[in-house]
Amino acid sequence: MKGERNIGGLWCHEVLAGLTLFMDGDLVGDDLDAVKVHVSGCDTCARFGGAFARAVSALRASPADHDEEDDDFAVGVLDALDP
Amino acid sequence: MPDEEDLNLLERARGGDRQAFGVFVRRHQQLVRRSVRAIVDSDADADDTAQDTFVQVWRALGTDGADKRGASTVRAWLLTIARRAAWRKHRRHVGEPRFTESLDAPGDGGDEGASHAIDAASVVDWGSLGEAAGWGQNPEARAALAEQRARVQAAMARLGAEEREVLTLRDVLGLSGPEAAAALGVGLAAEKSRLHRARLALLGALGAVDVTAVEVLS
Repeated sequence: MKGERNIGGLWCHEVLAGLTLFMDGDLVGDDLDAVKVHVSGCDTCARFGGAFARAVSALRASPADHDEEDDDFAVGVLDALDP
Repeated sequence: MPDEEDLNLLERARGGDRQAFGVFVRRHQQLVRRSVRAIVDSDADADDTAQDTFVQVWRALGTDGADKRGASTVRAWLLTIARRAAWRKHRRHVGEPRFTESLDAPGDGGDEGASHAIDAASVVDWGSLGEAAGWGQNPEARAALAEQRARVQAAMARLGAEEREVLTLRDVLGLSGPEAAAALGVGLAAEKSRLHRARLALLGALGAVDVTAVEVLS
């Protein structure tokens, strides 16, 4: 990637590769600390990481097409079962 | 434990208890519908596929019972069956013409429909309807939320079915990594890698990255 930097011992592409692990709490210890140090000193990764987190949060907050209970569905399944 | 309740329901269903199976269906119908909707092309296909899934579960109970074939949880086992059915449906539809308009869509009732609407006006619970429409809430916040939801749905529609599937399992339905991996039939590392690629694709589809970031990180 052009213009990437090494901050806190990590290159930008390494931070990019670890964003999902970071968001899901799978980064711990030194790995987590290194990402935090990099992001605190890298505007590009900070902005990209923020956008990444907002996108995932928006998806998690999005409703389903069918959120209402539909008892007809269960009735239809039972009707379709073998005798 | 939810899984113990499911196992109990399936054991009763295995003995022919349809009522218990009905409870199992109601517990999981939204999970199955939403997971298959990520793969198939329409709500109608999602309903058909979800029904097929539960019928297959019922038939499986009569053969291999509730052993779940090594799946980590009942949900993972159920989702494995669901995704197989969804991918079969998806493949069948590849190349077929897609019709999005129903020939007998609601609202085509002409004068008869209008008459029913007028008749119903005297018994409508306007308070409940108004609250459901946002009365008493912050209209700007609701509008922003609706816009965000529409953007997310539009972005999801632009992704591939595999990307939608893993995003739906993990970020919409909230499955754990191991559960999603089991449902997808892949290892945990592969599931995490697929999820990360899909999240990046979603971000791209949302257009949430500004030009500077794209230039640097691409």
